[in-house]
Amino acid sequence: MTQLELKSLTKSYGAYKVFDGLNLAAEPGEIVVIFGGSGTGKTILLRLIAGVEEPTSGLIEIEGNDVADIAPEHRNIGMAFQNFALFPHLSAFENIATPLRAQNASAELVRSGVDKVAKLLKIDHVLGHAPRELSNGQKQRTALARALAAGPRILLLDDPLRNVDAKLRFEMRLELPRLLRQTGAAVLYVTQDYKEAMALADRIAVIANGKFIQTAAPEDIYLKPATLGVAQLFGDPSINTADTKVELAGKTVNVTLGGAKVPIVSSYSSYAGRLVTFGVRPEAVEINASKGAGLAANVMAVTPLNERTVLLLHSEGGWEFLASLPSSATNIPEPGAKVKASFAASGTHLFDKTTAERLHG
Amino acid sequence: MDHSSTFEKALRSALITLVLIFFLFPILWIFLMSLQTNETILRIPPSILFEPNLDNYRALITGKLQTTAGNLDIAFMRNLWNSVLLSTFSVALSLLLGVPAAYAFARFKFRLGEDIAFTLLSFRFAPPLLVLLPLSLYFKTLGLTNTYIGLIWVYQLICLPLILWIVRGYFEDISPDIEHAYRIAGNSWWKTFTRVAIPLARPGIAAAGLLAFIFAWNNFVFALILASADKQPVTVGALAFVTASGIQYGQIAAAIVLSVTPTLALALYAQRYLVEGLSMGAVKG
Amino acid sequence: MGELVISNVDKIYRPRRKAPVHAVQSLSLTVKPGEITALLGSSGCGKTSTLRMIAGFEDVSHGTISLDGRDIHTLAPSARGVAMAFEAYSLYPPLTIAENMAFALKAAKLSTAESDAKVKAMAEMLEISDILNKYPTSVSGGQQQRAGLGRALVRKAGLYLLDEPMGQLEPQLRAILRGRIKHYLREHKCTTILVTHDQTEANALADRIAVMEGGILQQYATPAELKLRPANLFTGTFIGEPPMNVFNAGVRTDGKTVSFAIDGGVTLDYPANELSAPVSNLLSKQQRVAIGIRPHALHLGKGPIKGKVVSCQWLGDQTHVAVEVAGRTIVSVAQERVSQKTGSDIELNVAAGDLHLFDAASGGALAHGGDLA
Repeated sequence: MTQLELKSLTKSYGAYKVFDGLNLAAEPGEIVVIFGGSGTGKTILLRLIAGVEEPTSGLIEIEGNDVADIAPEHRNIGMAFQNFALFPHLSAFENIATPLRAQNASAELVRSGVDKVAKLLKIDHVLGHAPRELSNGQKQRTALARALAAGPRILLLDDPLRNVDAKLRFEMRLELPRLLRQTGAAVLYVTQDYKEAMALADRIAVIANGKFIQTAAPEDIYLKPATLGVAQLFGDPSINTADTKVELAGKTVNVTLGGAKVPIVSSYSSYAGRLVTFGVRPEAVEINASKGAGLAANVMAVTPLNERTVLLLHSEGGWEFLASLPSSATNIPEPGAKVKASFAASGTHLFDKTTAERLHG
Repeated sequence: MDHSSTFEKALRSALITLVLIFFLFPILWIFLMSLQTNETILRIPPSILFEPNLDNYRALITGKLQTTAGNLDIAFMRNLWNSVLLSTFSVALSLLLGVPAAYAFARFKFRLGEDIAFTLLSFRFAPPLLVLLPLSLYFKTLGLTNTYIGLIWVYQLICLPLILWIVRGYFEDISPDIEHAYRIAGNSWWKTFTRVAIPLARPGIAAAGLLAFIFAWNNFVFALILASADKQPVTVGALAFVTASGIQYGQIAAAIVLSVTPTLALALYAQRYLVEGLSMGAVKG
Repeated sequence: MGELVISNVDKIYRPRRKAPVHAVQSLSLTVKPGEITALLGSSGCGKTSTLRMIAGFEDVSHGTISLDGRDIHTLAPSARGVAMAFEAYSLYPPLTIAENMAFALKAAKLSTAESDAKVKAMAEMLEISDILNKYPTSVSGGQQQRAGLGRALVRKAGLYLLDEPMGQLEPQLRAILRGRIKHYLREHKCTTILVTHDQTEANALADRIAVMEGGILQQYATPAELKLRPANLFTGTFIGEPPMNVFNAGVRTDGKTVSFAIDGGVTLDYPANELSAPVSNLLSKQQRVAIGIRPHALHLGKGPIKGKVVSCQWLGDQTHVAVEVAGRTIVSVAQERVSQKTGSDIELNVAAGDLHLFDAASGGALAHGGDLA
């Protein structure tokens, strides 16, 4: 059964529409990541589901029941906040115990419930501490433990890793999927970090301009982005783009990048004459020696990015683009070198110039 | 940068001492006066050498004011009791009304909300005497003249805006997420208000309550006009020391010492909550 | 374009009624003319104190700082010939973005045309041409940061100090701006000090990185060297994303084979000739070592490290596989897309040439790959 369902959910403040007609369903045990930039209303969406704010129109259904008239305390939801929102006047133990105490659980049940979830999150040694005595990582785990303590049917996690350091964020990213699946709850996870979204999600709902522009599995989002906007949000470095026109020259299909004609796969031939935005992911840019085939370009700068190396390239016609190669690659050029660049079909897309939708090649 | 030389340190201590003397001298002088008779106080030149006695305090407590023209009955202890009664109940009522109101103003946006809050604050703008004349007429009609209830009511003009505005700020400083978290965990809004919002705003409530208490305690004109001797607080009662046969400086000083004591004790007691309040700020988020 | 020489610099803070804080301890560092150096470390490592001493906002407790052979640590900040981009942007609110950027140019008595041209070119590079006539408070944090960076870079200075210059940048712009800024700094031969806590930024921009921790310079080397030859366990684990996997292990050598018995039951055996003779020699005197293995060097497939898959996360251009081995989680990174079911059994291997060996007690590096550290 569908655990949580949003049906044409709309929220506006006066004339300002935060979002308009959101539809989404989440199954028990499923992790759905709500992904979008800041100011896209992700947090407001979670507040609506939690019931601390009211939607302007539309339905929120939990296990098939409309919850419009159900107060937040009766929705059986666990929520973790970006700023942790721990109760500063209560110990870590009492923080985690709050949802259990609210159910009037016996003292033993509270103790065993808190111990269990604290052990799972490796904070059983700091339960006696006040929130101000906890490190950021411990605060974050305490907040998560509080959300999980009463075994809620729905978990709302509002960018819970935002305020912890990079190392911890990485560790939690590896740990969280297993942990969250164990709960069996439907999980809505909000983040602005595309890597976190891809790492954790069963499905990602990309929100922009008040709508879900694509809701799909991470690999579909990355490999088959619905729009240019989605393609730009996923990937570091971001996808290279150029406005151009699809042209047919005999059997080859060409786009023009900085004045130079570049062939693309022939399956795009049906779009001949169309104004498009050409997009190629930096990791799909292949660098060949200057004598080889491809778009002639100068290497402007070489910037290592973790285990990859990013090249800033200027084509001879002036198109600026990035290439990302594994650092172990043997053909990494020096700044100032002249190279030829070609584009692997798997990371190359065409988007309609006006609608920004991806064209199927 | 913090390279302070010995000279700077000495200069700093000297300056602090000077400031302390400047501010504490009147208090010390009053305390000394309260242990002297009118004659030793008024002798010329003044001297800090005298034989201390507790006659002034004795006179106040027994209610017999000794003047050169003979003994006068005064109601100082009664006045002191009135002050305690009026201030305590006024602040209690203000807290009862003001804290929930402050919460509402901090958390909810409602029509005219800001206007109402501002109107309440504006009670503090008008000179009290301006309000007093019509008020005394109303009180007469309503039969509230010279009643504790009437005075406590009118004291709300002093206490309520103070509490409302200070406590509101404290509520606004609490992240709404903390309250949301408590509700989502399964608690009603009332429980959230009493178990989370109030404890977290407690330092603010303590500070506001203390300030309101001091303001109420020091009020003069309301009680002067709206109450007669048996309901008047010390501030008004002290007028009795200005007698036809002279001003009883020693007893006034003793009266001041006695009337400052309760507020001072309260301030010292509340101090730890105020300090706690400052350190609570560090755990936000 | 000058050479910056920091020699034996100490910074000691003496707060009232508290123990003195030794924020920077005998730091010696040379930044060659035109070189980009990053001061990298977590908060409290001393990098900001160092920056403030170079800029002149903070006294030097000990030692000297010279730029182009001229001692500058006693000069007023304005006399040091240093341009700085501040972490908090520090734009002048009553001036437009363009006026902010042109401020130092005006002071340097450049003609209006010349100054306008410079500002325009800089704005184009930093993608802020469209906000030049706006005021700082009306633009986003990322835009303010770019404007602050532009204000520092547009002027001519002997040294450029960039304090966390890209922390607020929009993610989509970051990679391309890094490239452009690096190109600009190279092109204009700007001697640059970049202060950051973000190793990605340091790696991308810097020619050399000074890793600091606890007020002490841990290592000063090129990004590649930091990765391949970390001087100690701290730099080894600090540099690299995801961080290096570290194991404590006992060592046994019998001339033919070197065995590492990792705590928890896994044993790695290597023919002694895969590690060079000096390394084998050194290890024969060592009982315990700390072994560091970079996630990228830990390969999936037949090998001595056996465990269960905790998670397998594909991020578009790489896959992170977390594996539970002997009660702890280790990470392997593959450049391609792999799918592994959570909970399934998996084997991992690592080549002798990819091992980093550290002294178990001091954390100092013993060997990298087959060679002595």
